[in-house]
Amino acid sequence: MTDTIANPRIAPASSESTIRHVAVLGAGTMGSGIAVVAARAGWRTTLYDIDTANVERGLATARRFLAKSGELGKLTAAEAEQASARLTGASSMSALADADVVIEAVFENLDVKKSLLAELDDVIAPDALIHTNTSTLSVTSIASGSRKPERVVGTHYCNPAPLMDLVEVAVSPRTSPESLARTREFLTLAGKTSVFTKDRPGFIVNRFLIPWENNCIRALEDGAGTVESIDAAVTGALGHPMGPFRLLDIVGLDIHHQVASRLYEQLRDPRFAPPPLVDRMIAAGDLGRKTGRGFYTYGDTALFGS
Amino acid sequence: MSAFGSVAVLGLGLMGRGITQTIAQAGVPVTALEVDRARLDAGERAIGDFLAEGVRRGKVTEQQRTQVLGRIGLTTDVEHLADADLVIEAVMENREVKIDILTRVADVVGPNTVIVTNTSALSVTDLAAALPNPGRIAGLHFFNPAPLMPVVEVVAAMQSDPGVVDRLAEFVDAIGKTAVRVKDRPGFLVNRLLMPYLNDVVAELDAELATAEDIDTALKLGLGYRMGPLELLDLIGLDTHHHATGSAYRATLDPQYAPPPLLAQMVAAGYHGRKTGRGFRVGRNTKESMS
Repeated sequence: MTDTIANPRIAPASSESTIRHVAVLGAGTMGSGIAVVAARAGWRTTLYDIDTANVERGLATARRFLAKSGELGKLTAAEAEQASARLTGASSMSALADADVVIEAVFENLDVKKSLLAELDDVIAPDALIHTNTSTLSVTSIASGSRKPERVVGTHYCNPAPLMDLVEVAVSPRTSPESLARTREFLTLAGKTSVFTKDRPGFIVNRFLIPWENNCIRALEDGAGTVESIDAAVTGALGHPMGPFRLLDIVGLDIHHQVASRLYEQLRDPRFAPPPLVDRMIAAGDLGRKTGRGFYTYGDTALFGS
Repeated sequence: MSAFGSVAVLGLGLMGRGITQTIAQAGVPVTALEVDRARLDAGERAIGDFLAEGVRRGKVTEQQRTQVLGRIGLTTDVEHLADADLVIEAVMENREVKIDILTRVADVVGPNTVIVTNTSALSVTDLAAALPNPGRIAGLHFFNPAPLMPVVEVVAAMQSDPGVVDRLAEFVDAIGKTAVRVKDRPGFLVNRLLMPYLNDVVAELDAELATAEDIDTALKLGLGYRMGPLELLDLIGLDTHHHATGSAYRATLDPQYAPPPLLAQMVAAGYHGRKTGRGFRVGRNTKESMS
């Protein structure tokens, strides 16, 4: 088995940066999205996953996204092609040895992430940065998996990573100021807007989004409004791009339940606990758009309320 | 066709003038009541300026502006409201002040004239109980700026005649807005959801989760909100939010509505947001260090 699913055409890194090689670990939705961000910014990018099939799938997703960007005119055809050429896949850690920035976006499980960081210590250069893309785990806990926690920084990308400008940055008490500064420079070069937050459950966006959505669900349970009237009131009166129930259907009720439960376990604040209606909907298989039914029903003709 | 042929608006403050303009723009004649000529003139001028800005942006023509202003009558005399089919109260958010003016108007208009309050923080049911023939009383809660905001909450008080609520919803549709029917509960629907979120943000700002600027940036970029919560508070007015959330708290004893200590201190210091030139975001150095 070859370590790299190679493309020999490697573009030079952007001139302002000392970063030459970015490695993204975990070839799922977030990992392949972040790989697009890095390749598009001009860095040689390796998408790593222990499972070769995942690597192939993640690379295909990333390349499809870049090709689409070319078709839509978001990138020139040449830019899209060059970015695609900078992307390489790997299923062996040795391919990460010369990475300057390693971004882990593997399964959201503390033990998995910690042991991955411990493995990385043996492979990558001592001064390489390690970024962890967690949404609900503590950066401090994840960083404790590394023998060099001073180089570990939390960088929480929004989904879809290539389209969403925001990255939430959090550090552990051991993170060095230099690692934080290099991280923010990296994110700026990657075209992202970074905000700095304490390492607390949910960081900023989920910290406020989860209780907001739960309150909207409780308002529905209480009969304060209907799915349609609450969505209309929120979009009309507050100018949100989408009502809470449209958004929950896109996110998926199962994902909302998972994120809300994780924050609730850490914060022990009932506002974060998923309301009973969420359990009922999951039990019924109404997970949102992906199952054809959530708060709304998705048919091929029209949308109507449940 | 509007469900009401002529409308009276009580009060030409920020909300009253927006409501007056919205209704006149929908082609319905409207008479606005204020306590003195100076307030009437100030309100009329503000509406004229708002429409002039619309002309400048190409949203309305100069001719339409003249027509809209021509549909607005101004008076300081309650007797001049006798022929109104619908009265919309938009005076200051104070129970006694509202009951006083609504009682005087109720004496003048017909017994079946529909009377609504634009309150956001008071109980419509409580106001209706203080007035004759409470079945014709309900709430119409407009959002600021009324001419631009597409949603109006139609509030059914305990006593409201369902037919009156239906007519009000039709009226809202006829003036080009979306009617959202809500129960008469603290905060109705929108503020019930908005206030705990804003309080939560203020409490976390106080707990130094992130800077005010970074909190606003994260929520705008992460969720596509037009304004961050702290910019929004500066716009609403910290005193206004403090009053609204304080009354929701007293009505529910739900801690989500309790005004957070930092909010109370900002209000005490006179930092009310844009209107006083200092709030969470205005009047601050936004280049604060972030790490």
